[in-house]
Amino acid sequence: MIKKLTILLLIGFLILQFFGPELPEVINKNPKDLITNNPDIPEDIKTILQVSCYDCHSNETTYPWYSNIAPVSFLVARDINHARDDLNFSNWEDMNKLDKASALDEITDVIIDDEMPMAIYTAMHRGASLSDQQKELLVSWTEEFSDQMFD
Amino acid sequence: MKLQITMKNLSLLLSITLSVIILMSFTNKNKAVKTYELSEVNYTVPNDIQEIINNSCYGCHNSDSKSKKGKMKLNFDKMSTMKVGKRVGKLNKIHGVVEENDMPPKKFLKKYPEKALNEEDSKKLASWAIEMASQYINE
Repeated sequence: MIKKLTILLLIGFLILQFFGPELPEVINKNPKDLITNNPDIPEDIKTILQVSCYDCHSNETTYPWYSNIAPVSFLVARDINHARDDLNFSNWEDMNKLDKASALDEITDVIIDDEMPMAIYTAMHRGASLSDQQKELLVSWTEEFSDQMFD
Repeated sequence: MKLQITMKNLSLLLSITLSVIILMSFTNKNKAVKTYELSEVNYTVPNDIQEIINNSCYGCHNSDSKSKKGKMKLNFDKMSTMKVGKRVGKLNKIHGVVEENDMPPKKFLKKYPEKALNEEDSKKLASWAIEMASQYINE
């Protein structure tokens, strides 16, 4: 009985692979990108953004091997689409100043509130979790960077 | 005779005072209650906007709020003292959430329907926020 069930599940799993979602496209050249267009951003901030945010909030996603395997692929596709919709650093320069200011303020909120990076992401990407010091750095940078726009 | 003149003068004086008071109340109506001079820009909240905020927003978005999230995301008590970039971000968000009818939260309104923004107030608040945010842009 258990053997039959296992075989059935396995077959189901294999069939599921043919119906997996298409993962959001990876684009590595983004002329409107935040970091590309703002060379003055401090190196440590660039690193934080690239390591902890860019996998979902840019077009430069690095997919781990398991992201192609259903049902994980559904989760990954959904989360990245959602993330890019909310804030895509690859399209930064397409935003107006007001929306940039709001986005930077939102970054502060989600960092202080520990909403981001998402726990499910840092569980699989240990290097992406932010230390308290990194969080402070990022938060004070968002405030400064936002202020610079209205000097 | 003398008394008559005095009476005349008195009523004249009274009517002048009265009209001045009436006139002043008119001009004061839309004048800002609070004006803060901060890095060459003003953050002003006209009376009618303050009323809308007090009725529909301030309950959660103030320093003593019980809603931790509400206070963190937007605290009207801090708007006048925060850095310009941050304030612009907040104001632009106010415009967005009010225009999209995302605030006050639907759940909250079920309990307190009187806190809802009517269409007119909603428009007023949204345009105040976007105007206030836009004045900081200097291009």
